[in-house]
Amino acid sequence: MNIGILYSRIRKDEKLLLGELRDRGHEVTKIDVRRQQFGLSDPPAEFEGLDVVVDRCLATSRSLYTTKFAHAYGVPVVNGPETAQVCADKVQNSLALERAGVPTPTTKVAFTKDAALEIVEEFGYPCVLKPVIGSWGRLMAKLDSRSAAEAVLEHKEVLGHYEHKVFYVQEFVEKPGRDIRVVATDGEPVAAMVRSSDHWLTNAAQGAEVAPFELDDRARELVAKASDAVGGGLLGVDLMEVGVNGEAPRASDSRAAEPRDGGADDYTVHEVNHTVEFKALNDAVDVDVPAAVVDWLESTVGTEADATAGEVQP
Amino acid sequence: MAECIECGADVSLHDDLETGEIVDCATCGAELEVIGTDPVELDTAPELEEDWGE
Repeated sequence: MNIGILYSRIRKDEKLLLGELRDRGHEVTKIDVRRQQFGLSDPPAEFEGLDVVVDRCLATSRSLYTTKFAHAYGVPVVNGPETAQVCADKVQNSLALERAGVPTPTTKVAFTKDAALEIVEEFGYPCVLKPVIGSWGRLMAKLDSRSAAEAVLEHKEVLGHYEHKVFYVQEFVEKPGRDIRVVATDGEPVAAMVRSSDHWLTNAAQGAEVAPFELDDRARELVAKASDAVGGGLLGVDLMEVGVNGEAPRASDSRAAEPRDGGADDYTVHEVNHTVEFKALNDAVDVDVPAAVVDWLESTVGTEADATAGEVQP
Repeated sequence: MAECIECGADVSLHDDLETGEIVDCATCGAELEVIGTDPVELDTAPELEEDWGE
C-alpha cells in the first residue's frame, strides 16, 4: 500500500509506525502539513496515488482541517474528519458518549463566569474545569474552593481565547489514584494500561507511571460503545474506575494489571482521543502496538477506511 | 553529528533519524527539529502550541 502520514512533528509514536510500515514493504509518504497548500478541489501533489492517509498531526486545528480536505479529495483517511471533530472537542465528545449510553462524568457547560460559578457551587468542591480543546492535561483546573473558582473563571473570561469562555465544568471523580488508557481499533482493544500518579492528573504526558492492565468484559463493552459513539477508527479511550474502596494498586505494583482490583463497581469514560499516542503503552505492555495498528490498517483500507470511519452515531 | 544552531556544539544523532523529529542539544538544551537527513539539517523546534496533543 501507499500510505500517507500527515504530520508536523515525528514523535516516537510516528517513528514506531513508520518503522512498522516500512518493514512490511509499504510505500510511505510523509506529508508535513506545514508545507502544504490545500485547494478546494485539487489535492497537494503528495496525495497522488495514496491508498490511505493516516492523520498524525500534533496540532488539533491542523488535524481537523487536513482530514476534511483528505475526505473531500476522496482519499481514505484515518481517522475520519467527523471522528476528529467529535474527539477534538470535549463538549462534542461528552455529548456523543452520553447519547450512546456510555457512562461519563456529570458535565455542564456555561458561557459566562456567573453561570459557570453556579454550576461549580451545585457540583460542590472539588470539581473540575477543563478547556474544550486541549490535551496532555494542560489547563485543567481542580477547583477546591469558591475563591479558587472565582479566580480561575475570571482569568479565563478576561485573558482567554474565545474558546476559554466556553466553561466546561465536570464533577470530580474520586478515582483510585489512576486511570486507564485503552488503544482500540474500531472498538477492539489492542492493549490497555493504568496510569498512576500522586497528582490528580494521571496523564502519561504529566509523568504518570504506567503498567499493563487486563480489561474485563465491562471495560471491553464500554470501549466498543465509546468507539462507536465517535465514529470508530484508531482511538485512545480513557476510563476511570468508580466506586473503588481505597487506593487501587499503583502502576508500580505487580497487581496493577488486575481489572477492577480494589473493588471498583464500574467505569466511567471521560474521553476518547483521535490522534492517540501509544509509545507509553507500547513500552508498558507485551503487545506490539504499532504492529497491531498496521494489521488493522491493512485489513481496513479499501474496505471501510473512509466508508465508515467518521460516521458518528445519530 | 550535526552542529547545534543555537550554541554551535556538536549534537549526537541516531542512525534512524527522521525528518520532522526533534533532537535535544546536550550542551545548551535547545530543542532542534530535523529538517533534512541527507545531509542532516537542524532548525529551532517550534514552541509548544495550545492545541497540540492527542
